[in-house]
Amino acid sequence: MTAPQPQRGVRTIAGREIAFDDEGFFESFEAWSEDAFEELARASGLPSITELHRQVIRFLREYYACNGRAPLNNQLRTGTGMSLLELDDLFPEGIKMGARRLAGLPNPKTCS
Amino acid sequence: MKKIRLRVNGVSREVIVDPETALLELLRDDLRLTGAKQSCDRKGQCGACMVVVDGQAVRSCLAKVGDLEGADVITVEGLGTPDNPHLIQQAFVLSGAIQCGFCTPGMIMATKVLLDADPNPTVEAIKHALRRNLCRCTGYKKIIEAVQLAGRFLRGETTPEAVRPDAAGGIMGVSHPRPSAMAKACGTAYFTADYRIAGALELAVLRSHLPHARIVSIDASEAQKMPGVAGVLTAADIRGTNILKYLVADRPLLCRDKVRYIGDPILAVAADTRQHAEGALAAVKVALEPLPTLSGPEVAMDPAAVQLHPEIPNLCFDQPQVKGDAEAALREAAAVVEARFKTQINHQAPLEPEATIAYWEKDDAGEDQLVIIGRSINIHYHLGMLQSALGWENMRYIEAFSGGQFGIKIDVISEGIAGAAAIHFKRPVRYIPSLAESMLATSKRHAFDMRVKLAADAQGKLTAYGNDFFVDNGAYHSIGHVVINRALLMLSGSYHIPNIAARGRLLYTNNPWGSAARGAGPPQINFALECAMDMLAEKLGIDPFDFRLRNSLAPGQSKSTGRVVQEWPFPELMEAMRPHYRRAVKEAAASRSGKVKRGVGLGTGAFGIGGPGDTAVAAVELDPDGGISVYAAAADPGEGNDSMLTQLTAEFMGIGMDRVRLHTRDTGNTAASGPAAGSRVTYMIGNAVLDALGQLKAAMQETGMKTGPDLEAAGKPRRYVGRKINEAGPLDPQTGQGPSFESQVHAVQMVELEVDTESGKVRILKMTTAVDAGPVINPLNLTGQLEGGMDMGVGFALREEYVAGKTKDWVSFKFPTIRDTFEMETIIRETPRPKGPFKSTGVGEMCLVPTAPAVVNAIRNAAGVWVCELPATPERIKAALAATR
Repeated sequence: MTAPQPQRGVRTIAGREIAFDDEGFFESFEAWSEDAFEELARASGLPSITELHRQVIRFLREYYACNGRAPLNNQLRTGTGMSLLELDDLFPEGIKMGARRLAGLPNPKTCS
Repeated sequence: MKKIRLRVNGVSREVIVDPETALLELLRDDLRLTGAKQSCDRKGQCGACMVVVDGQAVRSCLAKVGDLEGADVITVEGLGTPDNPHLIQQAFVLSGAIQCGFCTPGMIMATKVLLDADPNPTVEAIKHALRRNLCRCTGYKKIIEAVQLAGRFLRGETTPEAVRPDAAGGIMGVSHPRPSAMAKACGTAYFTADYRIAGALELAVLRSHLPHARIVSIDASEAQKMPGVAGVLTAADIRGTNILKYLVADRPLLCRDKVRYIGDPILAVAADTRQHAEGALAAVKVALEPLPTLSGPEVAMDPAAVQLHPEIPNLCFDQPQVKGDAEAALREAAAVVEARFKTQINHQAPLEPEATIAYWEKDDAGEDQLVIIGRSINIHYHLGMLQSALGWENMRYIEAFSGGQFGIKIDVISEGIAGAAAIHFKRPVRYIPSLAESMLATSKRHAFDMRVKLAADAQGKLTAYGNDFFVDNGAYHSIGHVVINRALLMLSGSYHIPNIAARGRLLYTNNPWGSAARGAGPPQINFALECAMDMLAEKLGIDPFDFRLRNSLAPGQSKSTGRVVQEWPFPELMEAMRPHYRRAVKEAAASRSGKVKRGVGLGTGAFGIGGPGDTAVAAVELDPDGGISVYAAAADPGEGNDSMLTQLTAEFMGIGMDRVRLHTRDTGNTAASGPAAGSRVTYMIGNAVLDALGQLKAAMQETGMKTGPDLEAAGKPRRYVGRKINEAGPLDPQTGQGPSFESQVHAVQMVELEVDTESGKVRILKMTTAVDAGPVINPLNLTGQLEGGMDMGVGFALREEYVAGKTKDWVSFKFPTIRDTFEMETIIRETPRPKGPFKSTGVGEMCLVPTAPAVVNAIRNAAGVWVCELPATPERIKAALAATR
């Protein structure tokens, strides 16, 4: 294969095999665990995991569980009580590639 | 300027206008009567703008207001409203004649004039009256039936009440009118270009006229000074990545240094009016230096060929499929046929051109939020693409009513440029490209070049199949490798073929970028297999009908992917077709003596439903009155997904359909349910909705509560999220073996046609389709898909081709008209599919998978020649006939 097409992959995280898409997002919302979050957070270079991090992750997961999608920015601000700047500071990879990815929210589905 | 007095929908109007102003412009832009649509760049080719002027059907794009002093104009809005519709509007709704609805107002107005003069017209009179009105969705059959029904209403022979399905007659399997149909019939459904925003900038975009070139310089200084111009937008002005990444990050929103196909966008001019924007665009000076052109896969394969994308080889995907030992089986076979088949680059041809509106709103926190209104069939995924490309996070996407799409809106098109302009100029923007520009801007159906070997033993059982195929990816990837995978997933069609040696290769070229097009891969690959089936049957001396039936896959046997199937109701479908086939063969045999010869051709298809790796999510909520709200981004560009979701929900919950509320169009309130593509909406999103409803129903049963607030008071949520998760894919990269679709929709099509052996012209007499998609949810919606698919399949087989720089409108595209219609018959079987929602599957794409080979096999049957390259034009047929003499 000479392809540039996305290479999805299965990796072992916190002792469990988890499928990720080409951007490193969980394929399955249900595959996420606290342990997986901690291992992925450490691997992403997050210096330490604080209660604020957990609060954001909890909100994102609860929102997705209730709505089947990630929150819009204003919903994220309201739900966490933080500004986008504060959220960006908290997750160095940003809201999408940091917080949403670590929270195990799948990317919207498309043909792949 | 000239002062004109006229009546519009019974209201006297006095307007002062340039007498050359088109009536369509007056109606849409000044009077805000947007029921009349524009598709064909005001060339009078489509009839979407048809209105009644002094009792005559008039294309309002051609009528000049200066000629209308004292005229009496009626538009679709003047005919009736959703609360008080005209009988013709009701007839169109009740006949299932409305799919996307973009052509509907024009059709209805042409019908009004016809029935005013002749309330009992013949079919020929209907075809004559509607000859200037184009429709891409229906194949015109239900439109003709709607006109006939309207005539019966007007003659007092029956009433809408008598025809409308009774709610007490059940929900599933009943043709309840689509929830959106009446708004489309009355011109009150808003399509993207129907939105007006005060102070919005209009865009004109400069696109490449060369297939491959370096951008040497851009001089927009003169354009910047022209009247009404707000500015010029280039790649340098875009805050984000400027890359519209669908699966591969290769397509620039605006080209920075190179253009890679005829139509690649270079810059946009924003002005207060479209005329000013276009005028200024003409003053922009862009210097392009031509580069070597990759004209097709064979050129792109050459090691000395220029590499189109710096970090990606031209051969960008290579997927084999190996099952058994095809080489040995071919060697040992009693009969082998070899042939090369080619399919063309084609335009999906939705009647509505591309369009996007972008504007600003304040979100709940008072922050600026960019809103995109467009034609997306995957609003959540497209929103993410746009956020990255534009560098603007706070966005919302709203799907407008959409005038067909047929795969073309799987990817972002005009949304990127409109959004970038809105951000750059901090203004609302309307980007409404012409039809000609839409054709340049949008993706196309991939061209396939297939070298095929098909073998059988002495008993007429298939033993081996080889298909080495090259796919022209065009300039950008979009879903390129997915198309190859889909072709391989469905490679063996309806049949059991124990040995397979296939290989699909995808190559970048300087042709228009390929992407989804109804079926996306299977229509092309199945053309080769089904024609080869006839070739091999002929070589073996077996009737092609018997040969197909003899080689049907059976439960317990495997497809080309190695996946064993549990159900395969194909033989039963063939048996349902058998009497029709016998009749057709007998009739054709009697019509072979003159220069016009009659032929019969078969094609079959097994179209996968519920693909490997697919998932869907949907949310439902119990409302305060006990109704159900469904939150699922299930786009509906015409298939009838609103019917499907409404009927499934009402049936499952045991409530009236009027108590089901659909929320499907806005990223702000829908679950990210995935694309309206791959015939997946019923199976995937329908199943996700049923999963959510199952949870809700269990909570209601446990508590005995019947409303949202009561359920919450009893300690249960009122809102539930459901999912449908399929087995993970993809195919093994070395063998092409692996997970396949959860189910299939099966079809057998038979074409009866005539070939004029002197002119090479083909006339389709009749198509018969036998289909098994599981229990039918809405019969008119199902047959509507089949009829539209047959019509589109015949266009693909005989006429249509997109040639960059030459195909510019509906005439040069050879869009099918009502005069091209033919008799259609549908045979329905309903084998339950265990995993389908109410045991159903989906049907939107399968309907054209068998069509092109059925047509070409019928040409062979009639005229004795093979035309292995599509479209099978008269010239190609004549050339094939000449070669045999």
